[in-house]
Amino acid sequence: MLSTHLKIATRNLRRNFTFSVINIAGLALGIGIFLLIAEYVSFEWGFNRFASNYKNIYRASFFNGKEEKGDYYLPPGYAAALKEKLPAIEAYTRIGENLGGGVAVVHQQKADAGQAYREGNVSFVDGNFLQFFGWKLKEGNGVLNAAQTAAISASTAKKYFGLNPAVGKIIEIKNQFGSTLYTITGVYEDVPAQSDIKADVLLSFKTLENPAFRNGNDWADPVKLESGYTYNFFQIRPGTDQAAFAKLATQVTRQILPDAKGLKVELQPLKDIHLAPSFNYHFQTYGSLIYVVSFLAIAILITVIAWLNYINLSTVQALSRAKESGVRKVLGATRSQIIIQFLTETVVLTVISLLISVAFVTLVQPYFNTFLEKPLSLKLLFDNWICAGVCLVVIAGCLFSGIYVATILSAFSPLKTIRGVANLKLGGVSIRKVLVVFQFTASVILIITTITLYRQLRYMQTQDLGLSLKQKVVITGPSVINSSGIDQSVAFENRVKQLPFVGKIAASNNVPGQGYNFSAQGITKLAPAAGDEKKSYSMLIVDNQYFDTYDIKFKEGRAFTPAMLIHGWPKTRKVILNESAAKQLGFANAEQALGQKINWGKEFEVVGVIKDYHHLSLHQFIQPMIFLPAVADGYFTIKMSAADMQQHINQIKKIYEELFPGEPFTFSFLDEVFDKQYRTEQKMGSIFMSAAGIAVFIAAMGLFGLAAFTAKQKVKEIGIRKVLGANVLHIVQLISADFIKLVLVSIVIASPIAWFAMNKWLQQFAYRTGMSWWIFVAGGSLAVTIATLTVMVQSLRAASANPVKSLRNE
Amino acid sequence: MLTLKNISKYYQVGGSKNFVLNNIDLDVEEGEFVSIMGPSGSGKSTLLNIIGMLDQPSEGYHYFMGEGVHLLKEKQRTALYKQYIGFVFQAYHLIDELTVYENIETPLIYQNIKGGERKALVADILDRFNIVGKKDLFPSQLSGGQQQLVGIARALISKPRLILADEPTGNLNSKQGEEIMELFRKLNQEDNVTIIQVTHNEKNAEYGSRIINLLDGKIESIKNI
Ligand SMILES: Nc1ncnc2c1ncn2[C@@H]1O[C@H](COP(=O)(O)OP(=O)(O)O)[C@@H](O)[C@H]1O
Ligand SMILES: [Mg+2]
Repeated sequence: MLSTHLKIATRNLRRNFTFSVINIAGLALGIGIFLLIAEYVSFEWGFNRFASNYKNIYRASFFNGKEEKGDYYLPPGYAAALKEKLPAIEAYTRIGENLGGGVAVVHQQKADAGQAYREGNVSFVDGNFLQFFGWKLKEGNGVLNAAQTAAISASTAKKYFGLNPAVGKIIEIKNQFGSTLYTITGVYEDVPAQSDIKADVLLSFKTLENPAFRNGNDWADPVKLESGYTYNFFQIRPGTDQAAFAKLATQVTRQILPDAKGLKVELQPLKDIHLAPSFNYHFQTYGSLIYVVSFLAIAILITVIAWLNYINLSTVQALSRAKESGVRKVLGATRSQIIIQFLTETVVLTVISLLISVAFVTLVQPYFNTFLEKPLSLKLLFDNWICAGVCLVVIAGCLFSGIYVATILSAFSPLKTIRGVANLKLGGVSIRKVLVVFQFTASVILIITTITLYRQLRYMQTQDLGLSLKQKVVITGPSVINSSGIDQSVAFENRVKQLPFVGKIAASNNVPGQGYNFSAQGITKLAPAAGDEKKSYSMLIVDNQYFDTYDIKFKEGRAFTPAMLIHGWPKTRKVILNESAAKQLGFANAEQALGQKINWGKEFEVVGVIKDYHHLSLHQFIQPMIFLPAVADGYFTIKMSAADMQQHINQIKKIYEELFPGEPFTFSFLDEVFDKQYRTEQKMGSIFMSAAGIAVFIAAMGLFGLAAFTAKQKVKEIGIRKVLGANVLHIVQLISADFIKLVLVSIVIASPIAWFAMNKWLQQFAYRTGMSWWIFVAGGSLAVTIATLTVMVQSLRAASANPVKSLRNE
Repeated sequence: MLTLKNISKYYQVGGSKNFVLNNIDLDVEEGEFVSIMGPSGSGKSTLLNIIGMLDQPSEGYHYFMGEGVHLLKEKQRTALYKQYIGFVFQAYHLIDELTVYENIETPLIYQNIKGGERKALVADILDRFNIVGKKDLFPSQLSGGQQQLVGIARALISKPRLILADEPTGNLNSKQGEEIMELFRKLNQEDNVTIIQVTHNEKNAEYGSRIINLLDGKIESIKNI
């Protein structure tokens, strides 16, 4: 029986070739997209689960009850003190994430000059780190209990030493803690992609216990309980009641820490630090649940559209299958036997589509991965519950649509069939209409979403920022600051300024598009209002050229003088405000602020007020900013002519390497740095554009099939009408009108939904465009145009057929 | 073999009943060959369909092989006609998607007969109807007479005791029609298969042992030959 079903199913698929191709292509595309996105979901879900005991590991954080956000940077001495008091803690490890970033100098031989590498991903960790998180060792033991020990990743080892063994070698790390030698105790396999904790180089915390290796940064003393800068992970004995433990930890912590009165300790499971288990999760996470969920929603939408296509095209074929169904019944088939027969066809079609979709996924995987910057593969689907989910969706889609179609096809009474196929009417027309409307509603929503996304993106990218990003190259300053540092920086600036192609050069300790230096509270007017000391300001350390180089306009006063730089802001006590800061401080306007003193522990004089500019992206409002004078050397911003960029940068590089020997030269273009802040929107834009394109494509294919069928069905009517004198336009109208009406209905349904969703989405931007009517008109027109063109192809073909032929055939 | 008693079939048109069959009484014995004649629209097909249980009467009693068909549920009716009845149609009603062989085999599949046995049965009947050479062709590749031959072979494959044929020669030329009639006669006489056929053709009607004339849903006359 089954083999007969299979044989007939494949024969039918071949016989109705066009329909089969449309069906299979739509389904394969739908399932393919679904598989790709399932990979992504599996990848995101599977984070931080490779350590064998990940279920017992928690990250501790402090909540002070008032603020929504917790504090994840805990004092370094805290973990050991807590473990001593709480026996349920089996082990802990601390991470000073990227704390040791700087330059690594590697000597192959003792005497050589060494090769310098800029390394950002350098973290201080506890001795048991590798074993605690289950990072695999490749070489050595990787124990970091002793001072001046380090472990490096396999690719870092390869970069430093090629194929030679790394363990036992000594590297020199230059960073904020000065220049320190470390002995490599181990090489670990590159961190799994599904780990939020990453490092190229791990340094032992023990090292920082020696003041000689702290370069005056005594806040970093790893036994202290003051400044918090470490992530603390605790491994709790299995079976411990988590809530009770957190409560106990809170009590103990209040004894350990001096000012921990209202503080609450909370524990976040390691597996949840990537993807929040729910939308109102108050812990910090590295991944984005909203991304995963909207991806999943898109995937399901596209798959559903593909299945609906199948249902539509197959039921519409029912008329040609009615006779088969009726005759089979006369020959003794029960309805369920006929259902199984038709269901077999669906299963065969699904299996073919599935195979093609796997080929499709394999084909586009590299592009998809490049786009998402994630190492995804089909293998990920088998990692966890996703596998079951994928099977469920495919099987459910197949069964549901298959049974639906089979039910319709098997419903014809044999009597009617025998009376003649010509008399048959296909029921369920309204259902087919609903399906088409659903498909196009989804498509129109995706189109409108895409337009809005790009509109907002363009808006943000084209707003006047109040500063100029053009033709600016940002060079990272030297990583090691020593006594001669200031002179070197000044020398560098002077030398660069001499170059003919250089317009201006400024030094600052951070740059627009990247961030501030720190934020501070407790800054007030001399006669403060209540609560003023709680207000927060974003501080940026700059030199006198900063404002001029960036074309930032002064409202009042002017830039710092060279003398103020040399003495530095702690001594000269001069500041420049932006307008927002002046306002937040309580000055009526910029003029009022100029020359005034403000209180920040000591008195500082306002020597200038600049016009507000966007230091960061338009996601956020302009912050009140305070600029502090110094001979900065974090970043040099060089304004230069656009011609021969590469060659000019090489000239600057030469000067840099001469003045900062051993410091790797790295540069970036400021407009690119700034634009990076919009990467999320750019990605979202591409994702929605692709989704909209695919959805429209599949829906249009379905429409194409439906129109083909309508044309076929109306061959006789068209023939008669033409004989009666109808022209091509009449015929096209006859076939297209119904479909276009459906698409119009879709637009009416889609618009309010899209309006609501997009309005909500736009809320997250401090500066945003509104929704305007033309977006809906544009989105709707696009859908109508595509639908019309699709249907037109079929109707033109029908309209141009010779009426005599079609009538004789009948 | 079957008895119809006071069988009526009507359609509600507006407020009044539009009778297609009006109070039909009919007995058919096992081994009979009955021809039904009458003008177009007189209810011949409706009568045949009711006998074949594809259609239900509005009123009346219908007994088949001793069972009260009017008392049975649809499933039981299906089981009953599956076992005893074979249909032959004017328009052949072969399944276009299936080959000759597969068309003939289909009823056996629905009777859950095993593959090996099916093969033997189909081979046997192909041989008997002299269409072995055509077994892999599709219906569209056959002439009308050949298609009807396949239709009859398909009706006979499950060894029915009753064959219902609605204008089996209606689409055939007279020579092809005669061949089909000869075949029916042979089946009737040699295999004792009961046959009820609808026909417009006097000559073909006379192959039967009894001719029933229908007019406006009533039996106008019965002629025994
Ligand atoms: N569903 C229906 N509704 C109303 N009248 C019907 C229906 N089906 C058949 N009829 C009528 O029943 C009558 C008999 O039809 P039929 O048995 O096919 O006649 P015959 O086979 O003798 O030509 C016809 O007049 C036809 O119009
Ligand atoms: Mg008839």
